[in-house]
Amino acid sequence: MTTETAIFRVDGVTKSYGGVKALDSVMLEAGVNEYMSLLGPSGSGKTTLLRVIAGFEVPDSGRVYFQGRDITGVPAHERGIGFVFQNFALFPHLTVRKNVAFGLMYGGGTVSAAETDKRTQAVIDMVGLTGMEDRGVDQISGGQRQRVALARTLVMQPKLVLLDEPLGALDANLRGRMRNELRAIRERMGVTFLHVTGSETEALAMGDSVVVLDRGRIIQAGKPDDVYSAPASPAVAHFLNRFNLFSGKLSHGVFTGPFGTVAAPQVTRAADDVYAIRYDRVRAQPLGSVADGPALQATYIASEYLGSSVMNFFETSDGKVVEVEHHLSLGAPETFEARQDYILTWTPDQAIVFGQESK
Amino acid sequence: MSDATVAPKRQGSSWLILPGIIWMALFMVVPILMICYVSFWTQTTFNISSTPTLASWKQFFSSDTYTGALWTTVRIWLIVLATTFAIGYPTALFVGLFVKSKTLSTVLLVICVIPFWTSFLIRVLAWRPMLGKEGAINIILMKMHIISQPIEVLLFTELSVIIGMSQIYCVFMVGPIAFMLGRIDRNIIEAARDLGAGFGRIFWKIIFPLSLPGVVVGAIFVSVMVLGEFATSGALSGRKVNLLGNIIVTQVGSLKWAMASVTGVILTVVMGMVIAVFLRIVDLKQEL
Repeated sequence: MTTETAIFRVDGVTKSYGGVKALDSVMLEAGVNEYMSLLGPSGSGKTTLLRVIAGFEVPDSGRVYFQGRDITGVPAHERGIGFVFQNFALFPHLTVRKNVAFGLMYGGGTVSAAETDKRTQAVIDMVGLTGMEDRGVDQISGGQRQRVALARTLVMQPKLVLLDEPLGALDANLRGRMRNELRAIRERMGVTFLHVTGSETEALAMGDSVVVLDRGRIIQAGKPDDVYSAPASPAVAHFLNRFNLFSGKLSHGVFTGPFGTVAAPQVTRAADDVYAIRYDRVRAQPLGSVADGPALQATYIASEYLGSSVMNFFETSDGKVVEVEHHLSLGAPETFEARQDYILTWTPDQAIVFGQESK
Repeated sequence: MSDATVAPKRQGSSWLILPGIIWMALFMVVPILMICYVSFWTQTTFNISSTPTLASWKQFFSSDTYTGALWTTVRIWLIVLATTFAIGYPTALFVGLFVKSKTLSTVLLVICVIPFWTSFLIRVLAWRPMLGKEGAINIILMKMHIISQPIEVLLFTELSVIIGMSQIYCVFMVGPIAFMLGRIDRNIIEAARDLGAGFGRIFWKIIFPLSLPGVVVGAIFVSVMVLGEFATSGALSGRKVNLLGNIIVTQVGSLKWAMASVTGVILTVVMGMVIAVFLRIVDLKQEL
């Protein structure tokens, strides 16, 4: 992607708080009309990155470009970048309509009263708040508050909207619905969304592209299915929360771990030797049966019913919990005896092996 | 079953208010009714009888001394209110909003309260050596050759009363406003900035409206205290400024109970009206 088609570009941005680097030479850019999600654990610097782009924080070094223009020194209120806050940050003393119209009325631009009314109403209708215009923002539900926050930003017709964990304050049911709506609204408006989240499912489900941030550094960026099927490092695999990770020793294309010695034909280069196998790729067999390939003896602890699948938890002799997911579409789940030992196995080529020695 | 358990419970909790009711009845309701009643008593030079008469009320409104005191009270109240607001609001804005550390803003508020470690009268009297003809301010200004003659208007005038009261009551304005400003979610201000609003717009459309309950509470504190004042005006005006409070003190001192009661009733009515007006501005029930 070149600068011409990028809506924004963050170039080597570093930001420290009291000697701790929240952002460490971050390079990032997103295209026009794109949904990018930024995944990272808390403290990874994702909110800081968003605040630097919005102009609420000044980076220690590095530049921020927006629509090809260097905006590093431009104050937030002159940037024209939308920001949706995690707690919505609605103006508590104003009605829904006045909240939405705020930017048009007091934002420094010259928008006529008639134009303001028209655009405000159009956005209120679009986010589905028709009829709520004159309510106070403490008289509406959490989902409606989220819509007000979004409408208030979208009415300014920004080319880029930054969303800081926008669904974090909603309950699970509403979160699912708002996910679809966010996508639909974005497509209708044709703007770029940069959506920060700590939830891997949210990041994978919503983004056209996913960026994984860890300790102030971008450790992977790509399409959701690429990131999901080929995590670039053990840290990414860990954040995706879909992999059992085993440490061990990789030498001459063979990985030695708690499950024995397994050939590792494909190795992803990483600082540590780590063996990753997806939860739904692991099978549990009765003790004593022969497994061709890796075999890990573990005790069955408990299971969790997730609707479309069942998650079984096993504990190895050294206390590590291994998760085995069974998709119910593949048939009824096996039943396991509590506190009984089983053999866990999998097909070696479905594993992802990380190591210093790459081929 | 629920009826049987809930009913005695409610009865039990309503007893909690009884000490409060007794206290208020004995020390507020009864005295106020008493004052109203006594204001219609007949006063002679050395005696007072309960024969009802309007004489004291007529005397109050026909005498320039008394009506003058009423207007002086209202004027000084308005000036002190404006001064404490003008000094207090920017201070509160700094302490409550611009100081990012909660610890530091608490420390700053405590510093504002330090003058209260000294007794009220000492604080009032301490203004005399400051403002006097040979006082600190005049000496400093003369040493700096800014003035050649001491400024005499500083002490024993209405100005000195206003200066003294503003200093003493300013903190009652700062506290509530700083509290309200401290409660404003910083994200709201950033959201307004993100929508393109500059600081002026953000202040008038977001910060000031959200701090208004604090302004009203502060204004009520200052108003109630200033309207009932007599000590500051007594000590700093050289008896030139008579407030309703001073009239009451003088009348009680010379055992003119009926006149003192009339003044007391008028003062109470004025305070009641002032508080009612302030409560009209902001619905405190909803805001706090």
